[in-house]
Amino acid sequence: MSVSISRPGETRAVPPSDQINLGVIGVGSRGKEVMRMMLRIPGVRVQGLCDVYEPRFAEGRKITNEETPIYRDYRQLLDARDLDAIVIATPLWLHADHVIASLESGRHVYGEKTMALTVQECDRIVEAVKRAGKRYQIGLQYHYAPWYREALQRIRAGKLGRVMQVYSYWHRNNSWRRSVSDPKDLKLERLINWRLYRAYSGGLLAELGSHHIDFANQVFGGIPESVIGTGGIDYWKDGREVPDNVQAVYRYPGGGTHFFSAVTTSRLDGSQVRAYGTTGSVVLTQIDGIFYEEPATEQSAALAETVLEHGVITGASYQAELPYRGLGHPIEVPEGKEGNPNYVSCASFIESARQNKRPEADEHVAWAEGVAVALGNKAIDQGGRVLFAEHVKMPA
Amino acid sequence: MWNNGTGAVVSWARPGIAILPSPDASAFRRFAWCAALVLAALAGLTALCKAGSEQLFAQSRQAMGTTFTIYLYAANEEQASEYFEAAFEEIERLDEALSNYRTSSELSRINRLAANEAVTTDPEVFELLQRSLDYSRRSGGAFDITVGPLMRAWGFFRGKGRYPAAQELAKARVSVGWQRVVLDPATRTVHFLVPGLELDLGGIGKGYAVDRVVVLLREMGVKSALIDAGSSTIYAIGAPPGKPGWNVRVPQPGNRLQAISTVLLRDASLSTSGNYEKYFRLDGRIYCHIMNPQTGEPVQGMLQTTVITPGATDSDALSTAVFVMGPLAGKRLLQSIAGASAFWVLGNPEARRTVAWRWPDRDRRTSRASRAMNSSVAQRNAGP
Repeated sequence: MSVSISRPGETRAVPPSDQINLGVIGVGSRGKEVMRMMLRIPGVRVQGLCDVYEPRFAEGRKITNEETPIYRDYRQLLDARDLDAIVIATPLWLHADHVIASLESGRHVYGEKTMALTVQECDRIVEAVKRAGKRYQIGLQYHYAPWYREALQRIRAGKLGRVMQVYSYWHRNNSWRRSVSDPKDLKLERLINWRLYRAYSGGLLAELGSHHIDFANQVFGGIPESVIGTGGIDYWKDGREVPDNVQAVYRYPGGGTHFFSAVTTSRLDGSQVRAYGTTGSVVLTQIDGIFYEEPATEQSAALAETVLEHGVITGASYQAELPYRGLGHPIEVPEGKEGNPNYVSCASFIESARQNKRPEADEHVAWAEGVAVALGNKAIDQGGRVLFAEHVKMPA
Repeated sequence: MWNNGTGAVVSWARPGIAILPSPDASAFRRFAWCAALVLAALAGLTALCKAGSEQLFAQSRQAMGTTFTIYLYAANEEQASEYFEAAFEEIERLDEALSNYRTSSELSRINRLAANEAVTTDPEVFELLQRSLDYSRRSGGAFDITVGPLMRAWGFFRGKGRYPAAQELAKARVSVGWQRVVLDPATRTVHFLVPGLELDLGGIGKGYAVDRVVVLLREMGVKSALIDAGSSTIYAIGAPPGKPGWNVRVPQPGNRLQAISTVLLRDASLSTSGNYEKYFRLDGRIYCHIMNPQTGEPVQGMLQTTVITPGATDSDALSTAVFVMGPLAGKRLLQSIAGASAFWVLGNPEARRTVAWRWPDRDRRTSRASRAMNSSVAQRNAGP
């Protein structure tokens, strides 16, 4: 019995009119992962790879498994006629230029998070989306994680009571440094390790905290009103310019706090986000989520009746305030809604591009995340408290 | 930092990385190695031995339902850390793609949908599925990534096994068969011809992950490393400085401390399949977790197979294939693979026999079964 393989071209799951040709600007680790996800979607083909680092072309072609056209300048890629949408996975400081140019070339854009390095750049992207009339989706994949969505649905339905705090962290135990083939080549060092240099990067808050910030924005229904931040280059004194130890506390209008922490010297707890509500809490990880009900707070009519008749009994007692570890209820993702967050996010984008419909994680979601990161970093850089109203036009 | 009683100083440079300076005398070296192994076992982490300008580092992490351990030579701890992070990130990426335990994996997505529609997947996953079916074809169905329903029926999915009811087994067999998986390269789609079919890459995924890590580490400049996927697949990049290869000991089935053969591995992969990881006994018979897809039952009369090939994907898949096929048919399959060699342990725990084929035992004494079973091999090879 031979392998059951049908002849090439025998079946086509997607009509040619639904074919989406992607151009990818930035073929680093993130760009490659997004490509793999996109290639799992019927009718999607990567038709252009752009990078300034030569080895990325071979790496990208290994993923596409074909001789995908390559470009060393993103403007040349945007001049190619056969591209329908652009994936931007470049260093943060380049996002605004690349996203805006792609939109202006008439393509839909899947832009990696964080939206942009500064508040002004985030504003410019929102304006460019409006001007171009094209779709923009931010690559905040946990916005699409089935268990995150299920948790948010329950939060919005009041199942946790009133959520007063989001508590999140992303703890790692590594240098966050990528290996550079020639450590003496400082240009290459900055190219590969751009995340470590402040002119190019928003550091841990941008690269890790953005997911948690987006979740808190959804829980509290908007952007924060203030942030205090702290951080330092405490352990990895290797020439980097962004803190290796970061904490930020955001306050939201109407009450509510989001605390975020990222460390690079311990991986205990990993990446989690917790929402504490008055009647329940939820803990979300990168693969699942668990609900916890608050200890029973209901009134007991039986106790109220017996106290008058029988009184109460005195005796020695001591109850420490132990952490509550009640029975958790794993979040059950409804059948048919399961999926890898990266895949669901990419599939959503392709659907938006095909149908020209607004994606869930659109430019407004991206802007809320982008400005919260930018101002959080401002607080970390200068120390103290930053008021959002002094830097952004607060949405009505 | 503390003294281990022999003068060998063991220090913890950072959490997760132990440093063990190189001692001189051989007895001293053995003792230091033991101390390092104890430390590694205790912390589940790293041992490190200085050799030349590079030092040996090791790190373990859980992935793909087992423990991956990587030993590598690097100039310093920072460099080692970069290698480890890149390697484990790649393993984690592949776990997320290939796991059949994670509902979010690409394999789970294919399993959910492919009976109802042709599911498009990315070139990497598609190519691995093609390779898997190719092994099925070449092994006459001995290697089969569709045995999942059989594994469930026999209670080996998240369990220790049980004898299935006849009806349950019959139902499972209907949903098994690599010929019922249709791969279309033109659309890069996967389609199942029967409902209930599911793919399980447990017999090849770890090997593929090891191959990917080997490519990655070599690209990063690593010249000497050992990548160990739960001890079932082990790849050696180069050799430790001044040594001809990495020592890999093939254990007696069911007794990890007793070696029946030691090989020097260099730029090659070794995989072992055994009947002792997951099994149950019933009426004097052992039922292991490796299925014979043709009979629908666990393989009988085979205790362990070890295969060496140039690549880890190959050795992983082939160790399972030849476990099912046995030495006669297994050799025919292996003849078609350049650089392959194999070592079978057959029979039962009370009466074992071995068959070695092109087997490169370090002491060249394992070609005859009786000698292979002699524990003197293990004693002679004790220690690093």
